[in-house]
Amino acid sequence: MDIYAFSEEANLSKVEARFYKKYPDREIECILCPRFCKLGDKERGYCGVRENIGGTYYTLVYGKACAIHIDPIEKKPLFHFLPSSSALSLAAAGCNVNCKFCQNWEISQVRPEQIRHLDFPPESVAQVAEKNQCPVVAYTYSEPVVFYEYMYDASLEGRKKGIKNVVITGGHVNPEPLVELMKVVDAIKVDLKAFNQDFYTQYVRGELQPVLEAIKIIAQSKVWLEIVYLVIPTLNDTPEEIRRLSQWILKEIGPEVPIHFSRFHPMYLMKNLPPTPVSTLEQVHQVAVKEGLRYVYIGNVAGHKYENTFCPNCKNIVIKRTVYQIQRIEIEDGKCKFCGNQIPGIWA
Amino acid sequence: MSRVVVVKGTNSLSQGKELNMKTLTRMYEQGFSVLTGQKKNEDSLSYIFPEKIKVGIKINTIGGKNISTRPEAALCLANLLTQSHIREENIIIWDRTNRELKSAGFQLNLNRGGIRIFGTDTQSIGYNHTLVSHLNVGSLFSSIQSDHTSASISLAILKDHGLAGVTGGMKNYFGAIHNPNKYHDTNCNPYVAEVFDTDLIKKKHKLTILDATVVQYHRGPSYHAKWSEVLGTLIFSFDPVAADYVGWKTIEKLRAKKGLPSLKEEDREPQYLKTAEDMGLGNANQGRIDVIEVDV
Repeated sequence: MDIYAFSEEANLSKVEARFYKKYPDREIECILCPRFCKLGDKERGYCGVRENIGGTYYTLVYGKACAIHIDPIEKKPLFHFLPSSSALSLAAAGCNVNCKFCQNWEISQVRPEQIRHLDFPPESVAQVAEKNQCPVVAYTYSEPVVFYEYMYDASLEGRKKGIKNVVITGGHVNPEPLVELMKVVDAIKVDLKAFNQDFYTQYVRGELQPVLEAIKIIAQSKVWLEIVYLVIPTLNDTPEEIRRLSQWILKEIGPEVPIHFSRFHPMYLMKNLPPTPVSTLEQVHQVAVKEGLRYVYIGNVAGHKYENTFCPNCKNIVIKRTVYQIQRIEIEDGKCKFCGNQIPGIWA
Repeated sequence: MSRVVVVKGTNSLSQGKELNMKTLTRMYEQGFSVLTGQKKNEDSLSYIFPEKIKVGIKINTIGGKNISTRPEAALCLANLLTQSHIREENIIIWDRTNRELKSAGFQLNLNRGGIRIFGTDTQSIGYNHTLVSHLNVGSLFSSIQSDHTSASISLAILKDHGLAGVTGGMKNYFGAIHNPNKYHDTNCNPYVAEVFDTDLIKKKHKLTILDATVVQYHRGPSYHAKWSEVLGTLIFSFDPVAADYVGWKTIEKLRAKKGLPSLKEEDREPQYLKTAEDMGLGNANQGRIDVIEVDV
């Protein structure tokens, strides 16, 4: 995407947003995410893609895709959800946080008029997915919560064609819209950025507690959940923090949710730190496993053994992966072929 | 001490609320003269801009026709600049988008000849490719600010702001970055000060002029006729913090007069001014500001 190219008359949408309150004097309050932006006429929310126009709140990115790719589902990453399937993956501009280490800041940290986008309405999303034999549509790359209406309607269209919908999100969303969204999607991967509020304040510009609440809500539903934790050297990588995180997951969600500890690479506003040492990731992995989590992965380290899924009962590899490629699957009817242990996930 | 000159133009606004150009010109001349201590306008301008420069006049047009920097105010200033050694083709009146400029009543001029008026979203302009990381700020800057001008005047509309408390000359530079929506938390503090503190702003900024001809003193930054007041005033200072401080106090006076609570009582006092003072950007303290009032 070219952030520097402009069209003078930006082709933005003007579709009324969901989840906001109207107040006197043309003021509104957005209740989609925990920021609760209160806005006067002509103002945009923190996300930069929702605007109060004359006292009505609009999404400017409905049907405006700024990135469209076909990715393996493993790239999201979702490791326990239709392995090796292709996901039509799309994004619209914007984000409701501002992570200093964002990998996609050129689409997430900009206003929609600052980048090129395609008109790609919800019904076309489902059609293109079907045409390209993608059983999954993924809302990803930027922050799908801020293009909620587009994602929701495209998911509905997908469902009509038997397509599954997955959401890759920071989880910075309020319970009501999340619960509504879960009626039309099949899996959600949450990027948990750290397990302390100071990190969220300083490096994310967001709140940890609502993200934890969102994770709990998803875990209690039928929607498949996986968690990614980007391990950043010196900032969120202590064994103590990982231990507390693991204990929280164990207590609130249970041991079976897959968690991916991913390697950080210097990016955006955080170029002063080195990539995460593999030894740190292995240590973090060990802590989580020791605490009782059963499906713990290491991400962004090509060829690492913890890219694979191990049966927690017999310890055999039940899904062998190399980067995003599936080498073999030893799961049948959701069970380990070697010992018959149930492996949680959506397998067909 | 920082000098702030408040020039009140009697009859500066005509019946239809168009600015009276004759009065406006005299207001600028008086403002420059008192600010610089020079008698002649060209000497004042040479004092402010001693070298050959390309001047950007950053205006604020987000509020539409009713509550934006007025086209007459910007054009009058630009014309006065051309009476010094600054050539008209070296003056750009600008803001974020051409759409906002047009909606505020500006006529675009993208040509090489004459005073140019255009937005950052003009084809081949855009944002500079270098991501500027400074304190809590990480932004791309308009190439008008970074590449096309060597000196900058903030000619900002003065108004109340629901989040920042007050928007004036410093916050006007939010319109020079690509992601201002990321800097409205905690009453825009410390972000207003920190955006100003970047080299691209601080080293180029030469002068603040607040357009207080019509002031929105409540429920800003959008326009509400019932909470706007015709003041017919321009506020000048070399000190960007002091200018905004005086602007803030102007809004507080209007609010008190109308029986409205102070910004502090509404928990949106512009704390970023104190932050800016602490960062050494100027004075936000009555005792260190010399306010000179002039009637034209």
